[in-house]
Amino acid sequence: MMPSMRLRVTALATGAAMLALASCSSGNDSGGSKSELKLYNDKGAWSQFFDQMGAQSKTEIGLGMKPVGYTDEPTYTAFIKASFRTKVKPDLFTWSTGGRLTEIVKQKQVADTTDIWQAAIKSGDLSADLAKYYTIDGKQYCVPLNTAYWGMFYNKKMFAKYKLKPPATWAELENLARTLKSKGETPFNHTTPTSLFSFVWFEQLLVGTNPDLYEKLGTGQASYTDPGVVDVMKRWKTMIDAGWFSNPGDKADPADHFKSGKAAMVSSGTWFNTSMTQRQLKLGEDYGFFFIPNVNPSLPKTSLVFESGPLCSLTKAPDPAASTKFLKWWVTPAAQEKWANSRGDVSGNPRVKIAQPELSKITKEAAGGEYRLMQRYFEAAPAPVLTAALDGLSGFTVKPDTYMKVLETIQKANEQYWKTQGN
Amino acid sequence: MTVRQQPATSPSRTSAARTERRGAGSGGRRPGPHRSGGSYALFGRLRYAYVSPALLLVAVLLYLPFVWTAWLSLTRYDGLGSPEFIGLDNYTRLFQDEALITSIRNTLLWVAGTTVLPVGLGLLVAVLSYDIKGGPWFRLPFLLPYAMSGAGLALVWGFILQPEGVANQALSFFGMPGGDMSFLNDGPENTFAMLAVWTWQQLGVNMLLFVVGLQSIPRAPIEAARIDGASGWRLFRHVLWPLMRPLTTVVVGLALVASLKTFDIVWVMTQGGPGRTSETLAVTMYRDVFVADEYGYGSAVAVLLTTVTGLASYAYMRRQIGKEDH
Repeated sequence: MMPSMRLRVTALATGAAMLALASCSSGNDSGGSKSELKLYNDKGAWSQFFDQMGAQSKTEIGLGMKPVGYTDEPTYTAFIKASFRTKVKPDLFTWSTGGRLTEIVKQKQVADTTDIWQAAIKSGDLSADLAKYYTIDGKQYCVPLNTAYWGMFYNKKMFAKYKLKPPATWAELENLARTLKSKGETPFNHTTPTSLFSFVWFEQLLVGTNPDLYEKLGTGQASYTDPGVVDVMKRWKTMIDAGWFSNPGDKADPADHFKSGKAAMVSSGTWFNTSMTQRQLKLGEDYGFFFIPNVNPSLPKTSLVFESGPLCSLTKAPDPAASTKFLKWWVTPAAQEKWANSRGDVSGNPRVKIAQPELSKITKEAAGGEYRLMQRYFEAAPAPVLTAALDGLSGFTVKPDTYMKVLETIQKANEQYWKTQGN
Repeated sequence: MTVRQQPATSPSRTSAARTERRGAGSGGRRPGPHRSGGSYALFGRLRYAYVSPALLLVAVLLYLPFVWTAWLSLTRYDGLGSPEFIGLDNYTRLFQDEALITSIRNTLLWVAGTTVLPVGLGLLVAVLSYDIKGGPWFRLPFLLPYAMSGAGLALVWGFILQPEGVANQALSFFGMPGGDMSFLNDGPENTFAMLAVWTWQQLGVNMLLFVVGLQSIPRAPIEAARIDGASGWRLFRHVLWPLMRPLTTVVVGLALVASLKTFDIVWVMTQGGPGRTSETLAVTMYRDVFVADEYGYGSAVAVLLTTVTGLASYAYMRRQIGKEDH
């Protein structure tokens, strides 16, 4: 019996020692000065571009970066939220501005980047206009990961075939759609019901009709059953009934749809260029881009939907100094030039030289003062309202007759949310 | 014609019980040297220590999450900060939620459909192909789809059933109706379409289980029934079906539980949409927790789903076991 007891005691002691060693080892991992950071993101398709940035940061500031890309949004969000309560914390992570950023900042989880912003505004690397999307209670959080303007991508070859040119007014856009339809083409791509983008046409029609109402919807000061919103849904329905959209149940990627010529135009952010680049299509040759004219021609400025996604670090990041060092570097012209040009997109840094001439023209036009920048609906709507809207609008795309019921359902979520906020 | 069922399991169960009793007492098998009185005392003292790792694992991995979910269902919680206790508000909201009513309807469709189609057709194919020449070759094609993973299956069929997809084109090509039908866009038709896909995959495994059941039936009562003139439906109804009852109980029970928790095929094919028309309770639970960040409300759906699954399984098994006892 005694040898057996000794054996058990030895086994227990060995187990305990191994556990202790394991915990020591994990302690070492999480502390100290890091030479490589992990950047968690929900942009799995951009891994190669993140890798290039990691190599460049290693060369320029001696701090490497490896991306950890997720492709499923709910899984990614759940992981980041869970990391707030566990020891597994990302060095850097992507998120979205608007209500979602506010809710994690209010939990005191996000590192303050006011110093980075103030220095960058002074040096001209970031603009004060952009800062307002990153400001909560007077302080800035995160830095811009990407910036994008929304407009219409169009198939240049198809436009040339039918002797069409980009429209300057909404009436011209409608004429384009009519012509393309009469030639047997599908004018516009419609998002699939399972995508996150069922809001796109709702947003575009509303900002082009009544931008003030759009902004009020985002702050709970207007109802989704407002006659102005109802009219927008009716207009969208008329366009669907006219056969101007691709079938919303089609599971093909919009970029593939566009490349194969199944839809002549796709409304998207300038990041769509990345998808085009990955499919060997060239801006200016294979496809073009125009800002969508207002539905209401009497508006003083053309509404231009704009988005900026943040790159953040946590207050309790494994190595806060290293994360801050990387974020400081991220907004510099050298880093931003590489980031924007490799993906074929615009940059949040106004000093960046965009290599692609057409894209450079877009950036200059957008900053030219003729446009009223409108925050994208995805960021402008509070999270619970957005969820209800995405569900409702995806249902609407396949059953346009249900628009009133859809608006009532979204309004219910809207009322419920703002009631909890004390409105 | 009546055939008496053989209480096949009773003798072995009884003999096992007898062996146990003999082993435990002094009149049974002679205990080995390690079963000395001192070792018994030692095991007696340490027995909780030996089982504690397993108990701890069960408690931490199974019971604790359930208790935590039940607690969360009484709170408002968005995954950040601390949950706020709101009593039974989430449960009150459950039954006023139109999307949840749709979700319950779809789940019931899945339960009914799964019991009738994959199980019923599996039984039919098994009975028809059992005892015929070349039966295994006839059954093989039904079994092949089972080799596919649930997500892979859903992905492939999602493309086949999409508007203007392969299914539409095939129907148009053969001049059949449905060439312009949107299989996945309208509810509850999208649930029926997914049930058809599910049947395509699951029929084979149910068929296989029934074939194993048929092959394990003693030949004597079947031969006796045949000599008495029974064949076809009468042979199935009065001989095969009663003898297969224990297996049928298991197959239907498994199908019942699987259908109540249907998730993967729906999530991959439609994500519960469009407009939440194809959600099942499991999809609603996932959506509310991970997409809408309503951890409290999603937990209430989880508790509802667990309760329904538990009650349905208990009621079904109790009824079946009750039948067997009689």
